[in-house]
Amino acid sequence: MSRRDFFRASGLVAAGAVGGPALLGGLKKARAASPAKPAWDSRFSVCDICFNKCGLIARVEDGVVKKLDPNPKFLKSRGMLCARGNAGIAQVYDPDRLKHPLLRKGARGEGKWQRIPWDEALDMAAQKMVEVREKYTSCGHLFTAGTDLHTQFVSRFAEVYGSFNVTSHESLCLVSGSRAFLDTFGEVPFADVLNSKYIMMVGANRFEALVTPDSIDLMTAIHENGCKLVTLDPRYTKTAALSHEWYPVRPGTDMAFMLALAHVIINENLYDPQWVEEKTFGIEQLTAHVQPYTPGFAAEQCGIPAEDIARMARELAAAAPASMVYPGRRTSDYEDSTQIRRSFAIVNGLLGNWDKPGGLLAARQVGLKGVPYDAPWYDENQEDRIDAGKVPMMFEHEGSFLVTRDSVLADDPYPIRGWFVYKTNPMGTAPNRKKTIEMMNKMDFVTVVDIAMSDTAWMADLVLPSQSYLERTDPCSGLQGSVACACVVKRDPVIEPLYESRPLFDIMKGIASRMDLGEFFDFTIEEYREMQTREIPEALGVMDRDGVYYNPSKVYGIYDGRIYKTLSKKVELYNQRYEQMGLDPLPNYTPPAGPPKNQFRMVIGRNAMITQTSTANNALLHEFVPGNTLWLNTESAANLGIADGDLVEVASPVGRQELKAEVTDKIRPDTVFMLSGYNTLSTMQSLSHGNGASINELLDDDYDAITGNASMHTTFVTVTRKVA
Amino acid sequence: MAQQFAMVIDAAKCIDCKGCVAACKVANEVPEGQFRNWIKPTDVPVRPGPSNGTAKFQPGACMHCENPTCVAACPTGATYRDEETGIVVIDEALCIGCGNCIPACPYDARYRNAVTRKADKCNYCPERRAAGLPPACVDTCPTKARVFGDINDPQSAAGILFRKNKERLARVAAKTDTKPNMYYIGDPGPGAWGREAVVPASMVAMKESAPFIKGIVALSGLGVLAMLGRQLFAGSGSDHKEDTDA
Repeated sequence: MSRRDFFRASGLVAAGAVGGPALLGGLKKARAASPAKPAWDSRFSVCDICFNKCGLIARVEDGVVKKLDPNPKFLKSRGMLCARGNAGIAQVYDPDRLKHPLLRKGARGEGKWQRIPWDEALDMAAQKMVEVREKYTSCGHLFTAGTDLHTQFVSRFAEVYGSFNVTSHESLCLVSGSRAFLDTFGEVPFADVLNSKYIMMVGANRFEALVTPDSIDLMTAIHENGCKLVTLDPRYTKTAALSHEWYPVRPGTDMAFMLALAHVIINENLYDPQWVEEKTFGIEQLTAHVQPYTPGFAAEQCGIPAEDIARMARELAAAAPASMVYPGRRTSDYEDSTQIRRSFAIVNGLLGNWDKPGGLLAARQVGLKGVPYDAPWYDENQEDRIDAGKVPMMFEHEGSFLVTRDSVLADDPYPIRGWFVYKTNPMGTAPNRKKTIEMMNKMDFVTVVDIAMSDTAWMADLVLPSQSYLERTDPCSGLQGSVACACVVKRDPVIEPLYESRPLFDIMKGIASRMDLGEFFDFTIEEYREMQTREIPEALGVMDRDGVYYNPSKVYGIYDGRIYKTLSKKVELYNQRYEQMGLDPLPNYTPPAGPPKNQFRMVIGRNAMITQTSTANNALLHEFVPGNTLWLNTESAANLGIADGDLVEVASPVGRQELKAEVTDKIRPDTVFMLSGYNTLSTMQSLSHGNGASINELLDDDYDAITGNASMHTTFVTVTRKVA
Repeated sequence: MAQQFAMVIDAAKCIDCKGCVAACKVANEVPEGQFRNWIKPTDVPVRPGPSNGTAKFQPGACMHCENPTCVAACPTGATYRDEETGIVVIDEALCIGCGNCIPACPYDARYRNAVTRKADKCNYCPERRAAGLPPACVDTCPTKARVFGDINDPQSAAGILFRKNKERLARVAAKTDTKPNMYYIGDPGPGAWGREAVVPASMVAMKESAPFIKGIVALSGLGVLAMLGRQLFAGSGSDHKEDTDA
């Protein structure tokens, strides 16, 4: 007789249970090893905790999501769900969620709100939009929307309302990188990480800033497929830790490194002459251009030994075309970030790492179609966007948030007094927060639609609660999963909407119908999906069955016998259009100014447990990242008399913040780093309010000269120990 | 041969994303600030240039040991090794939350659940397995660094890996050798970090003399009630030191 049997038999368990939480449990003959199957329903959806849209299966019991699991049939995300994906539950059931429409009662940002009914809220939103249009024309209203499957309805609304002024999050993130690759290859490529034999990871952190399938494929490539991974990063990131080689490059010198790679590849004839002759434009100009950029020159700039630079150039070339300088995603770093990324693209172009296994890939066919409409014409309107013509190569449909903000503040060339924001948080993500507050104060009326009281919502006039991704019906969306797939996804509600939340589509429809624009929203999401999938009619049924529809489209050789969408119709090492516009047709390296004595360059970045401001209030993720700290090099900290965990003040030309120092060898002595998303203004973000420091309060608001993408690595700060 | 459920882990594939930890917390409703599983980073000097190639992050959890010291430390038999599956199980109905088992685990895989106030640890997600799903941590892992299954079954994913890498399999050593059933392929990263198992002397004595003093065992029931009382009045904090002398 074991002790277990004895206690069970003697009834002591029951005695033990008296007064305990399991009043009856004690008598039950429990076999913990073989419990019953859970009573959940399984429903497909797509994650929304970052932009990746990984496939998931929601386990729902009694109308409540108990667990989010990966969809094993979802190739783009390789059947995984990261910590943030798992923490989606904490976002949906966050007690801080917006529950009903709120109208500002006190001063802007004071946090006094009045609950109002939906009808009143929509009447007011529509009436204010009409007023703004009457006073300032349609372009006097700005629309800003984040990455979301409903965002297209904000764009549609703006267009039928008559405003050209639509901005997205992308000009605080990736537009300069997209520009650079578009202006080299004629399109923005995907990376065939899985089949690559040599990956140069520069200015990207793919094992922490997860991109599917790249992050997962990167591990498969280096672990199973013999791919070599080299990382250049001023921080010893987890990507750096898992790389074959890591160099703590001096921030702002990546271009010197790339031009030196090109120097070695050209001078040692390491490229395929046939590829360069037939498919590229400008090898003569590039050859002349890279002569001064020797490995020795780059070594001085980057702090990487010259012989290593030359060796890496040879290794990268030897592995070509199954090699790549990884394009990266967020490129909002310097004022010449388009030109920096052009240098990345040029090395890939030179080596022919394109349209073949292991290199960069062209976009694949997904099969979704747009849903066209004829927007009305307004005679009384401005001629163009407010940020038009201020930088030479802005993406019109993304705009530049920073250029727009400066223009709004200066009424240049015309006033904007109304602002509608959906599911993005410029107050928490755009550098120089004080200017965003000024911009808010300039507005007659601001409406924000979101699931939580973000800092942008906190400063608004009217706040409308939207549904989370697990509560609503979404249109179809096409996804490119690199070599993994080209696919289509949709979302259907897996639970009933919480509180009084409504989907953005219904909100737009409600406002439109109050402004005689109802005809542009006279459909249901289901009907919209039918229109989107009119050429792949089987897709909707397949998505119901598998949670995803795959289009079996071509992966490689898409450009066989096809011209490139550039002026020369070839891969442009030398960009002719830039030449015509007076821009550098080949990237010219300007050494970055070093931080002045006793100052540091601030860099931003991610870890795998946060998505900027949108997860700082997530209770589950908060357990992993309870706040942000200032990464400060051990030696630098000693010089300043700062110990690990000390409270420090960080001061920049535009702001001051306090947070705890994290003294570490994982960062260069001239650089500091902190995570974004913390120290929110909004007290209705109870885990991030008053917690850590706001990086966008500190960052200066420089931007890329070509695209207007924010440059977030150009701010120098002082760090001082706070005396307790 | 009986089953032996186990994990075969390739620590070199772990990117420390915490997906497994988050998935476990949700699947098992693990209270705030408590964890059933972990990823331990290797503390190596930061050096630019070529890497020395050692694994940097080590996923782990209860190792479902062959010689589970936690079982020896349990006064009620709530913690036992299931003969059928080789899984070390906590029968919640029998657990009195005395906390003896917590220091008895050299890998600190156990904690007293702040809500149920009972011993808690990884149980390989039995509800999920009943539904035909892998444990939550295994299912969610981006790089599939964690592989779970019956290592005695040559057809199972874990069994295949186990056999294929037989020569290179490593275990994380502890000062008390409990023969863990958590196998790492090649370099497990952080080395022999397991401490000594701390089993209350009274429990050891009781276990050794058990065959002839069943009557005394009955008396220990009174002690159990006393411990239960103490548990009910004790704070719910995770500090278990007060229990080590029980």
